[in-house]
Amino acid sequence: MNMSANSKVIDVDVHNQLKSSDDLLPFLPEPWKSQVARLGIGIPDRGYPSPVSVIRKDCTPPSGSPAASDPEFLVKDLIEPFNIEYAILTGNMMDVSTMHDPDHAAAIASAYNDFLISEWLPKHPSFRGCMVVATQDPLLAVREIDRMAEHPEIVGIVIGSAQRTLLGQRHLHPIYEAAERHQLPISIHPGGEGAGISSAPTASGYPTRYIEYHTNLSQNYMAHVTSLVCEGVFEKFPNLKFVCLEGGIAWLPHLLWRLDKNYKGLRSSVPWLKRLPSEYIRSNCLFSTQPIEEPENPKHLLAIFDMIDAENILLFSSDYPHWDNDNPSKILRGLSAEATNKIFYQNAKSLYNL
Amino acid sequence: MAVHYVAGIDEIPEGTHKIVDVKGLSIGIYNVRGEYHALNNYCPHQGAKLCKGPVCGTNMESKVYQYIYGREQEIVRCPWHGWEFDIKTGKSLFSDKVRTKKFQLVIEGEKIGVVIGA
Repeated sequence: MNMSANSKVIDVDVHNQLKSSDDLLPFLPEPWKSQVARLGIGIPDRGYPSPVSVIRKDCTPPSGSPAASDPEFLVKDLIEPFNIEYAILTGNMMDVSTMHDPDHAAAIASAYNDFLISEWLPKHPSFRGCMVVATQDPLLAVREIDRMAEHPEIVGIVIGSAQRTLLGQRHLHPIYEAAERHQLPISIHPGGEGAGISSAPTASGYPTRYIEYHTNLSQNYMAHVTSLVCEGVFEKFPNLKFVCLEGGIAWLPHLLWRLDKNYKGLRSSVPWLKRLPSEYIRSNCLFSTQPIEEPENPKHLLAIFDMIDAENILLFSSDYPHWDNDNPSKILRGLSAEATNKIFYQNAKSLYNL
Repeated sequence: MAVHYVAGIDEIPEGTHKIVDVKGLSIGIYNVRGEYHALNNYCPHQGAKLCKGPVCGTNMESKVYQYIYGREQEIVRCPWHGWEFDIKTGKSLFSDKVRTKKFQLVIEGEKIGVVIGA
């Protein structure tokens, strides 16, 4: 956008990082405390090395600790230069949902949530947090949501899009009931596809290399959004909002059109839907901008925005400090002032009640 | 057109680089096997400080499933999205049309000067 001193920005995806797995030790009960001290956190590796490496090399704080692990440096490197009023901290723990042991996963999620409210959220007035839950045991996830949700600076829940099952399916509905009850939007975030107990990153198996894997993350998002709609999640929980982080947006017109077309003939298989599928997506789903697609002809992106009513469903995200992050002053030019304000600020402000 | 002396040759030994600020520009001066090259510290993609990225080689064009690693020390990768630029020309490796500005250098004795302006 065309940034000025008055440009208001809310960033919905900032990856605060642990300095090391030791950061969680004070917040872990046994037996997990000793296990993590010995072996580390235990989130499985998805196994796709990138030649660029996922973390930007120019984000290392002067202390030498990992990128985005130092709240003060994060403020200097991201919050201040880009005038960010609120940064929604999404961390790097969402792939607890790919762990084999549901109790281990739930313990890590809880420890991270306690670490987040103790070590990050008080550090700067712009910081707000997404709590993490693991989906392997939905009732443990509900317990965690009920435990954490009323903390004033917890504004959402983040779960990994890397899952063993599609997110709309019924065993996960207790999580959605709790989220809606506490008025917490759920963000889904990629990165663990193919790791641990999650399914292969693509519908026909495991790609060979990172470039293929990263490009096709959108596939998984299409599947999850379709599932959420068709399983009636937005009928059962009409006030629940989903934020699709980092999944891209240019595939959305295709999904809206194809799903609506199919619904016209196949409605009897989803008789609980009272509106067109695309209307549920428009009313209950939002999408973060990063990594913004970059067609040769920028007008094509604006055409897609037009098709999806972008100004009402997009949320700016930087994805700091990851390699594919976006610089808010360089992307999304050519939008009206009103659309810019909504995408960079107002939509997030309303969504998260900031 | 003016020459601005910004560094001594002893400050930039082979295989190293230095970022200098001159006339409002940030410029990276690289020593590639004894030859000096200067690039604008600005990535044409989203404006990252290009010269903060790693200097490396790359896998050159090859047959399918063949890897020919080479051009050691000749490539700078943007720290944000990894775009590769040829230090000697400022051109990206994926398109001749995508490039960062290259500055002419003047070496006078022990001093390195950057040519700025027409």
